[in-house]
Amino acid sequence: MALLSVREETMRFGGLFANQSISFDVEEGELLAVIGPNGAGKTTLFNVISGFFPPTSGSIQFDGKDITGAPSHQVASAGLVRTYQLVQLFKHLTVAENVEIGSHRVTRGGVFSALFRPEWMRKQEKNVCEGARELLRFVGLEHQADLQADKLPYGRQRLLEVARALAAKPRLLLLDEPAAGLNTQETEALADVITRIQRGGTTVILIEHDMSLVMKIAQRIVVLDFGKKIAEGTPDEIKAHPDVIAAYLGGTETVDA
Amino acid sequence: MTSHATISIEPAGIRWQAMLPVVAVVVVAGFGLLSSDYVVTVLGFAFIYTIFCTGLNFFMGYTGQASFGQSAFAAIGGYGSAILCADYGWEPLLALFATMALSGVAAVIVGFPTLRLRGHYLAMATFALGLIVYEVTIEWTGLTQGYMGYSGIPPLGIAGYELVTVKQQLVALVVLALFGVAVAARLRQSRFGRALASIAGSESAALALGVDIARYKLVAFVIAALYASAAGSLFAHFIGFISPEVFGVTMVVQSFAMLYLGGIGTMWGPTIGAIIVSVLPEALRGLKEMQDIGYTAILIFILIFAPRGLAGLSALFGRVRGRVKEAA
Amino acid sequence: MPNLVEFLQSVVNGIGVGLIYGLVGIGFCVIYNASGIVNFAQGVFVMLGGMVCQALLTQFGIPLMLAVALTIPLVAISGMIMELVIVRPMMHRGATLFAIILATLAAQIMIERITLLTFGDRPRTYHEFTTGGPLKIGDIAIGYQLFWILGCGALLVLLLWLFFTRTRTGRALRACSQNREAAQLLGVPVARMMLISFALSAALGAVAGILVTPTQYTAYNVGTPFGVNGFIAAIIGGFGRAGGALAGGLLLGVLQALAIVALGAGFKNVAALSALLVVLLLFPNGLFAGFSRGAKAH
Ligand SMILES: Nc1ncnc2c1ncn2[C@@H]1O[C@H](COP(=O)(O)OP(=O)(O)OP(=O)(O)O)[C@@H](O)[C@H]1O
Ligand SMILES: [Mg+2]
Repeated sequence: MALLSVREETMRFGGLFANQSISFDVEEGELLAVIGPNGAGKTTLFNVISGFFPPTSGSIQFDGKDITGAPSHQVASAGLVRTYQLVQLFKHLTVAENVEIGSHRVTRGGVFSALFRPEWMRKQEKNVCEGARELLRFVGLEHQADLQADKLPYGRQRLLEVARALAAKPRLLLLDEPAAGLNTQETEALADVITRIQRGGTTVILIEHDMSLVMKIAQRIVVLDFGKKIAEGTPDEIKAHPDVIAAYLGGTETVDA
Repeated sequence: MTSHATISIEPAGIRWQAMLPVVAVVVVAGFGLLSSDYVVTVLGFAFIYTIFCTGLNFFMGYTGQASFGQSAFAAIGGYGSAILCADYGWEPLLALFATMALSGVAAVIVGFPTLRLRGHYLAMATFALGLIVYEVTIEWTGLTQGYMGYSGIPPLGIAGYELVTVKQQLVALVVLALFGVAVAARLRQSRFGRALASIAGSESAALALGVDIARYKLVAFVIAALYASAAGSLFAHFIGFISPEVFGVTMVVQSFAMLYLGGIGTMWGPTIGAIIVSVLPEALRGLKEMQDIGYTAILIFILIFAPRGLAGLSALFGRVRGRVKEAA
Repeated sequence: MPNLVEFLQSVVNGIGVGLIYGLVGIGFCVIYNASGIVNFAQGVFVMLGGMVCQALLTQFGIPLMLAVALTIPLVAISGMIMELVIVRPMMHRGATLFAIILATLAAQIMIERITLLTFGDRPRTYHEFTTGGPLKIGDIAIGYQLFWILGCGALLVLLLWLFFTRTRTGRALRACSQNREAAQLLGVPVARMMLISFALSAALGAVAGILVTPTQYTAYNVGTPFGVNGFIAAIIGGFGRAGGALAGGLLLGVLQALAIVALGAGFKNVAALSALLVVLLLFPNGLFAGFSRGAKAH
């Protein structure tokens, strides 16, 4: 059974169909890319899947459960974690603490355990702290652990955001244009991180404009245009797909990878 | 701040640094004990406000929300303790806890609908809450004796033993204030505290990580209310008299002056601010008349020129704020 | 129907005070539209209007019209000072929203205390603009001042409308309210617009204070109730819409006057503040907008 299935999902803003009858499945362990010209409805799709607003119609199933219209923190708790197109860091905190917060979903304890620090709590805190260091190593930020997050260069902020999402041990990770604004080197590093995430067993859906990146790492691609799904298939199939070529030739981008 | 590769935190060093403000507080209090009762009273205020501001810091500093009406909960604590002890002969400590519980319940009831608001609306709604309670303390004379105020409130004590001198009470207030700060620090350095900080940082990112922000905001609001209520009760016992003016808008502005001067969102900021703002007008004699003008001037000045306050300026306290890890 | 007279009388009174709330509410909107800030010190301009006018009248014996003509620019200057000294530097430094709100609240208290030190805490008033009255219609008494309030209020609204639709500055202000960045790009001097909005808004408050003082009294601490009620008026009208604020003020004034008849005056402020909470929680976009959208964030 698919880890995520989107069925006939439609999202309307007034008269505008940002998403229209979109259906697709994502299998466990897969790396799926969602591409499409600006304003195609990719971010909207993420917003609906992650519960930031309920779809106008249609349904979202995650891990066999219907999560349509569930509040976003509940969707996240279920293991579906997303990042944003515009970096959303906890700027006033340190890099390490950003990642530690990421582990919220996989830890427990509230006011009382914080006050009385039982054995399990202390052990958990230690794990959280060490886990954060490990993830920072994973994305190559271990030397900036104690830096305030907004002092990081932009490219590294994106990596931090990915590390923070990973701290939540997601079953499905949604990345919204993680390479936007990165230079070639930084994009390489990011591609490497994403590939390793997927090899580690985490399912990933990636929105990306950088075609070379998509063609290199994605196993399957869903193409949106004007809110509709116009194609779905392997990178090779997509490259040859006439509708995709038309959509991109009509737009400003090209499929040249 | 140039902090590269400071991965190896020496717990001993951090702990020593963390103890420094405690020592400072004890020194200030010790100085007070050697001075006149008047100085002791001023310092007593400072430590009561430390408690109030430490609570406020939870909601505003750690969680990044705004409450302009915390004085309401101080009023519940103050009047509750006054009435229970003066009229019904309750133990002060029992009354303190009972009114804290009452304030907590009130905070849940009020906070549940109100905290959905944001920005200006949240500020205005909480401001209205403070004003409502203030008006009620004036108008409900049957309960509060209105402008006359409530007198004859017994001093703090335990099990029949009363702290009769102000100096004894100051010691108790210092202990309670330090306890309050310690509890706040412990809560901040935990999963719970990190969740609060995530809300201050970015609500959408917090949501995406599974933080139930409505719930955490409410809990932070309740904690702030508990601190405010305790501060109100302690004020009533310390002075022995309360009136509506004690819990008016001045209290709100004064506590904000303390919070922003000391450093909002930091562990020791509320304490530093409370002590300075309480002592300053006393140090500048003849300024009595202009006290409120002084507070507001300080507040505006800080808000414009140093919104992170004194604790924000100091690398020493900055580190304590950053990453104190429980060494235990 | 023994209470019909009482009812009509309170509607009449309510319209007068409601128009005042409406003016304060418009003051909130003017600043909000130009800067995105809600000025918590709005009520203080009403207080200053009454106090300054009273001082000019009684202490300097200046004739009424001259006193009014002096008071309005004086209070407007206080608004400009607030913008120049507090709001502008904070916005420049990227202060948080709450910090700016707090600073305006602090400014209110500071001005109140300065007023207290200068004028004392004795409530003050001065006589109505036209002596005589009240006009009796059956058993209903209508003070002449009410006509002044209605007349000046209507005139002011007309002038504001002309200002916002017919003058360059007014149109530039409206452009700022639609989109500040875009207005800046189009060459609108946004900083100057903010200064103008504070001056205008303070002047509106001053007029409200000058008009309302003869019907009640003024003292250093009357600002907060006017500010709160003006804010409610603005919210009822869907924050930022001047016409809505005016309508909201009238509605609020009448409702309050009725509530006083029904419940007594003691808990008047409590009732107003509770009304504020109800409106905030149930109608964050104003009574006239319905329930459709959530609360406006900033
Ligand atoms: N909250 C909203 N309210 C109204 N319209 C919206 C909203 N969110 C998105 N839209 C509209 O929906 C359409 C799709 O937007 P979306 O952000 O999903 O595009 P996108 O594919 O992510 O584009 P980009 O590549 O530029 O990020 C756009 O026309 C946008 O203006
Ligand atoms: Mg997008």
